[in-house]
Amino acid sequence: MDVAEKSETIYVKEMDDYKKMVEISVENLGVSFTDKEGGAPVVALQNINLEIMQGEFISLLGPSGCGKTTLLRTIADLQQPTSGKISVRGESPREIRSQKKYGIVFQNPVLYEWRTVRRNVCMPMEMMGIPKRDRTARVTKMLELVGLMEFGKKYPHELSGGMQQRVGIARALAIQPEILLMDEPFSALDEFTKEKLHEDLLRIWKKTNKTILFVTHNIQEAVFLSDRVVVLSPHPGRVSAVVDINLERPRDLSIKSSPEFNALVTKVRNSFEGV
Amino acid sequence: MWLETKKKIRITKQSVTTILYPVLFGVLVAVLWQTQVLHKMIGADTFTLPLPGRIFAIISDNAPEIMLNVRATVIVALGGLVLGSLLGYLLAILATMFPKWGVGGLTVVSAFNAIPIIAIAPILNNLTKDFSKDPNTRSMLAKMLVVMIMCTVSMSINAYRGFTELKPFSLDLMTSYAASKTTVFFKLRVPNSIPYMFTALRVSVPGSVISALVSEYFAEYIIGVGRQIRENIVLAQYATAWAYITVACAIGIILYVVLLIVEGILLKGRR
Repeated sequence: MDVAEKSETIYVKEMDDYKKMVEISVENLGVSFTDKEGGAPVVALQNINLEIMQGEFISLLGPSGCGKTTLLRTIADLQQPTSGKISVRGESPREIRSQKKYGIVFQNPVLYEWRTVRRNVCMPMEMMGIPKRDRTARVTKMLELVGLMEFGKKYPHELSGGMQQRVGIARALAIQPEILLMDEPFSALDEFTKEKLHEDLLRIWKKTNKTILFVTHNIQEAVFLSDRVVVLSPHPGRVSAVVDINLERPRDLSIKSSPEFNALVTKVRNSFEGV
Repeated sequence: MWLETKKKIRITKQSVTTILYPVLFGVLVAVLWQTQVLHKMIGADTFTLPLPGRIFAIISDNAPEIMLNVRATVIVALGGLVLGSLLGYLLAILATMFPKWGVGGLTVVSAFNAIPIIAIAPILNNLTKDFSKDPNTRSMLAKMLVVMIMCTVSMSINAYRGFTELKPFSLDLMTSYAASKTTVFFKLRVPNSIPYMFTALRVSVPGSVISALVSEYFAEYIIGVGRQIRENIVLAQYATAWAYITVACAIGIILYVVLLIVEGILLKGRR
């Protein structure tokens, strides 16, 4: 085997490793909505290219109308693409969804008010047909993870907004998904609760090694949490920049006052187009 | 702790005003009635408006016969209520399964609500005349059908709302777990419809008693509290008629209270 051939083998091997690392790949994605009154279709997303790595914490950041939620919903197979392709671990979003590998946390907690906290967390596992003993054990583990051990028997309306959203996170993690999709989960919460949940989310992420796709319109939130921030610009929704956030981990709230943090916030803010 | 105490006091104060005031008003009317001040105020005599003491004496003297009529009325009211509510719920399920036809279909069903009981009762008497040789049985069926029609509408419309007016993202949540339509129906739509069912029942429980009383007027077989009110007025036995009116009120109130208790138990924990 000569040198050239050997180096090619190594190159191919590296490419294979790289491909294995890619969790979600979005190619030339376009999503349009047809106007109800029969007018021209509204282009929500145009020519989106994106690769999300396994175990990565990635944020989709942008103002309202930039299509960030549409992108998350398309990856989640709650919305169909008009053009282009999404593959998740080499499979289609639909296959991944039917294998129940997605955990989704929505803008509001979407708890069923007729079920206690425990039974809300239990709900997706009931649907998957997981035996009762395993369910009970896993619910306890999940509630412990989000710090709601004493609240299992409460009903959703007895909890604060922040606690309700924690239940939503516990429910999303209960089916042990590969990918956690979070659509502005903390946007309705006050600043103090939000910061507490940011720290908790990073702790949970580290413990569970999930890939997290996090949609937000808050620049500080995106920079604090993410490995990379995907900046989306509106009309039509497109990626205007991808910013690497090379802040050290584990991160705590004190980094928010560091010059590096603020430099990154400025860098992200400057990468918006046409807002 | 302080908040909790305050909340308790407020609830107590509220229940005092909601229970005590109507009771005081009732006692006042009863006193005016018994002392015949009420008769002077509205220009009535004790023959057409007998004293409360006499009405209650008649009720206790004729207890077995009154209970026989109460039983007939309650069977008609509850039987019609159950049949109508089940049919309404079934229609709501169909409307949810086939939304294209469902909404229009429910509009047609709600048109039934506009038909007066007085109009359908004689028609149903006629339609059910071949059902049984026993006049009591076929009368019962005719009366129950009247009540059923009155109860179907409110249940079908409210249950349909309960099946379809879901909280934002709750359907997306189900989709994200690749839930089948059946799972969505039993895990999400049915529990979501329960408060709406009680909204329907709050209308149809009193409605079923009224429909039962009125349909008895037109029934072939003479039985039931409503029918006895009419028969006694025709015979100018006003005191007995008033005794049946009092019993009719009691039936309505008791059934409504039972409904509220069941609702309180089943909707515990919901906001």
